[in-house]
Formats: sequence, C-alpha cells, structure tokens
Amino acid sequence: MGLTGSGALITRPMLVTFAILVTLPLWIEPVGFYQYLGVEIVIWMIFALGFNLLLGYTGLPSFGHGAYFGLGAYAFGLFQLNVVQNLWLGLMAAVVIAAIGGAAVAAFISHRRGIYFALLTIAFGQVFWFVSIKWHKLTGGEDGLLNIPRPSMDFGVVEFALSDNTALFYCVLGVFAVVVIGLWRLVHSPFGKVIQAIKQNEMRASFVGYNVWLYKWAVFTLSAGIAGLAGGLFAMAQESAYPDVMSLHASGFVVMMTLVGGGFVSFWGPVMGAVIFFLARDFLGSLTETWLLWYGLMFMGMVLFKPEGVAGAWQDWMGRLLGKQDKGDASPAGGFVASLKR
Amino acid sequence: MDLINNLLPHLVNGLSLGLLFALIALGFMLIVGVMELINLAHGSLFALGAYVAMVIINPDPSWLGALGFWYVELPLAARYVVGLIVAPAIVAVVGFGLEICMRRTYGKDPLYGLLLTFGAALVIEELIRVVFGSGEQVMPVPDALGGAFLFGGMIYSKYRFFAAGFGLLVILLVWLFLEKTPYGAIIKAGAHDSEMVRALGINLTRLRLYVFGLGASLAAIAGIVLTPIWGLRPHVGVDVVVPAFLIIVLGGVGSFWGAVIAGVLVGLTVGITGAYASEWSLMSMYFLLIGVVTFRARGLFGKKSVLEA
Repeated sequence: MGLTGSGALITRPMLVTFAILVTLPLWIEPVGFYQYLGVEIVIWMIFALGFNLLLGYTGLPSFGHGAYFGLGAYAFGLFQLNVVQNLWLGLMAAVVIAAIGGAAVAAFISHRRGIYFALLTIAFGQVFWFVSIKWHKLTGGEDGLLNIPRPSMDFGVVEFALSDNTALFYCVLGVFAVVVIGLWRLVHSPFGKVIQAIKQNEMRASFVGYNVWLYKWAVFTLSAGIAGLAGGLFAMAQESAYPDVMSLHASGFVVMMTLVGGGFVSFWGPVMGAVIFFLARDFLGSLTETWLLWYGLMFMGMVLFKPEGVAGAWQDWMGRLLGKQDKGDASPAGGFVASLKR
Repeated sequence: MDLINNLLPHLVNGLSLGLLFALIALGFMLIVGVMELINLAHGSLFALGAYVAMVIINPDPSWLGALGFWYVELPLAARYVVGLIVAPAIVAVVGFGLEICMRRTYGKDPLYGLLLTFGAALVIEELIRVVFGSGEQVMPVPDALGGAFLFGGMIYSKYRFFAAGFGLLVILLVWLFLEKTPYGAIIKAGAHDSEMVRALGINLTRLRLYVFGLGASLAAIAGIVLTPIWGLRPHVGVDVVVPAFLIIVLGGVGSFWGAVIAGVLVGLTVGITGAYASEWSLMSMYFLLIGVVTFRARGLFGKKSVLEA
C-alpha cells in the first residue's frame, strides 16, 4: 500500500474498485440515491486522480485547478457546437486545450514551489475564470454554454446512444478505467519515481541530475490534461459548461476531495475523497440548506486531527490490526511525516 | 489637458481602490511573514468586518432595550465611527480563534494551514449567508461622506476621497507601528526568524496570536471602508482576497512598501482600464501580474523569502 505499492498492471484494490463501480447502477437507486450521482462522482474521481499526480506525488499545491477542468468543459462544448459532433474528437479537444492552458501556466510557475506556487496557481486560475465570465461571445458569460449536444459513443462497428444515465455512467466509467490504469502505470514508471523524489527534496533531485523544471512542467501539463478530460466529460454529462467550475471554490473542492480521501498516502485517496464529498453534499444537503458550513467544519477538523485523510486512517487501522506496524519506513504515514520535516 | 481632466476621476477611483487593497494585502502579509501561512480566510474576515459593522451602525434596537433605542437615536456619523472601531475588534477576536485552531499545523507542511483557512473561509461565508442572507446589502454612510461634487466639468464622488485618505492614514499608522515601536520590531524579527525570537525570550505563541488578530482587523477595516465602493455580498471575500494575493506577489513577499506600491499600481491599472474598457477592468491586474512576474520572478521589491523553501 502507500503511495507506491505494487507496480502490477492490475491490482486487487483496482479490481475491487471496478467491481463496485460496474455494479453501481444496479444498487444505487435501492440505497436511496440516483443514477446521475454516479456519473458526477466518477467524473470528479478522474479530476481528483489527475490532480493528485500534482499534489500527492509531486508535492505541488495547485489551488487553481478548476481552471483546466473548465477549459476542458468549454473546449468540449465549443467543439460540439461549432466544429463537429463527435464524442472522441470532442474529448480529445478538451484534453488538448486544457493541456495547452496548463503548459502555458506551468511555463511561468515551474521554478516555484510551496506556498509561492500555490499563490501563483490561484492567480492564474482566476485569470481563466475571469475570461470565461467576460468573453460573452465565446463562452456565453455567466450563463455559460447551454444545450451542448451529447453525441453517441461511436466505435465504428457499434454505436451506443448516451441518452440515459446508465449508458452515460458506463461511458464515463470506461474513461475512468483507462485513466486509473494509465496513472497507476505512470506513478510506477521511472517518471513516477522522479516526481516523488522531487516531492521529497527538489534540490537533491536536481543535484542527482534530473531536470526538475521540466518534470514539474510535464506533471502540471499532464495533470491539467486529465482535468480537461474530466471537464469534457462533465460538459457532456451536464450538456452545458459554465464559469462556476473554474471558480476558486471549485478549485478548492478538488483539493478537499484529494486530501479528505488521503491523496498524500494512497493512490486511491482521491477516489474515496470524491465519494465522500458527493455523499456529504447529498446527505447533508438533504438535512440542511447550509451543507457547506458543516462540510467546511468537518474538513477543518480533519486537517487538524487526521491530515492523512480516510486512507491514512485506514492504513493505521490495518497496520494495528495486522500488528506489524513498524516505526520506520514500513508505515506509510511515517514516511509522510518524515517528508514533512524536511 | 482634456485627457488628464477626463482621466482624473478614474485615477482617484483607482487610487482609493489601490490603497484599500494595499491595506488588505498588508494584513495578509503580516500573517504570511510571522506564521508562514497563506490565510485564505482573509477575504472572509474582510466580509465579516463589513457585515458586523453594518449591524453595529444599524442595529435592531430591541436587542439592547432602552440603551439600544438611545443608541439608534445617535447621529449616523457617530454610529459609523463606533462601527469602524468595534467591528475590527470583533473580527480580531475571530482571528484569535482561527489562530488557536491553526496552532496544530505549525511545523507541518504549510499546505495544511492553507487548507485549514480554506475550510474556515467556507464556514465564515456560509455563516454570513445563514445570518444575513445571500442578497446584496447596503452599508450606510454618513451624509458628510456621501454625494458628489463637480470639478473641472467632471463628477467626483466624495466618498472616494475619504476612502483614499483613510486607507493612507491606516497604512501610515501600520508603518509607524512596525517601524517605531518595540512591538513592531518584534513582529519584524518574528517574520525574519521566529525561532531566534523565541530564543530571545519572547512569547512566540502570544506574538502569533496578536499578529493574526492585527491582520484580521486590518482586513475588517478595509472591508468597512471598501464596501460602499465594492458592494457587500457573502462571496465578496473571494472577490477581494485574490487582488490581495496578487498585490503580495506583485510587490514581493515581505516588502511593506512593495505591497503599498503594488496596491496603488493595481488600483490605478483597474481605474484606467475602467475608463476605456470597464468590462475588463478587473482583468487588467492579472496581466500586470503576469507581465511583472515574467521579468521579475520575485515581484517588484521581493527578496528571497521563507516561502520559497
């Protein structure tokens, strides 16, 4: 377990996650939720997983990541509306545009780290948000793009309409599976090792001979591309794209998800975090109008008392259960705490 | 000449905006300096200050009985002054509470402090929504400050002059406090090397508490004065915390006059673009930032600081 763990192509947690998600349309309504919730959760899982590449693996806190999600959403929408109605090309446009935006921003900020990095990502994120509100002709201003057509999933030989939420869910889940397997491979590749080295000690990584700037730039661009993919899926699912997803709040939510789930200590942290966030939204939202107040308080409590998140709590618990919690490196939290004391 | 004449009101507007932005940024920077913490709740404290002042200036008299009725009979100007003094004090107490929560994050990754204040910002904003509703509110202003006058054929709002003057006054007071008092020396030393300050026998815990309170009350003061210009809604905090970040980055972290000059620069840029392309006026400050950061990575007056570690 931990951030690294087994480097196998397919792992047991992966199979469990896929199994739970594949059967989700069968049981989500009986437990009292609705099909569309599954779509939303999986889209944000993709977003948060991509984000964690930056936060959890490279240790770069981006607080303006909603911008790339939004770029993807607008790119998908504009592509469907103005170029051609095609799912694959639309998603590709979303990824490419978001990655270009991310690459441009990363070029400005990749020599930064820590709090300064966070400040600059906020500032750049706001630039995109502001443009999306003000550029009426292109983005439709505060209302956003409406009535984005949802093209069918065309595999050449077979074609699936995505008109109902179950089909939509499986489409999004397919993309999720590709992203999970791809990211899992990536973080276990030499590239993944280097970015984790950068997280631990940037200067040492550069003295060893790695071009730290280039790695940070590449991770940021990649992460922005994945955010764009999620954004494109979101625009497809919502059939609209609006500036809200680019706001500081939306950017903060993805950080919250990643952290609540335990993105610092586990690959699966962001996945759990997205589930918790949306369940909290729907559950607290059904009890009170001001669910964000309670979620905010919960989040503050978690940052104070269990900053490793749900995954950290789980790992502690498993460690205690198995009774082999070494004090040294074997405990994932130990390595994490050590990295904080750099 | 005509150009200057036409531009002058926008320059005055920009200047008043810039000086108040600088005030927010200074409070923010004090906290960054001493605690190495980006206070994302700073904008919420700004909004909270404005809302609290609004209640103090126009309270529901039945709360306090006879005293309340006597109070609302006072002239608006008197109540305004009370609000301007009491509201920042209340917000400072909220700041104390936040700082006490923050203590658990010291010595850990600075990201935790950032996240904690993000949570706090959400909580404060939602609380404001619960208590005051989501709609736009109007801050009452004494008659002497309201209205407008004509000069050289252009209309000037009196309030803008008050805002600029008041902003400048508070900035000077903060400067005097930091430069000419022993407390200021301790704060500056704390920003430079807090461990050393502790080693010299100064109570670092209390220093952090007071600095946070001071920063919070500066945000509240700016909130009260800026509100009649900027409007008051629950999410005003986010709208205003971003220019504050920008000013810090632009001026360079840790530089007092850098923040003031950057604040004025941002204000003037917003004011002048407001004259020609009002839709994009707030956007211009981002271009200013990108332009400056491209050529001077640490901002205009920045030195290498703790934040880059």
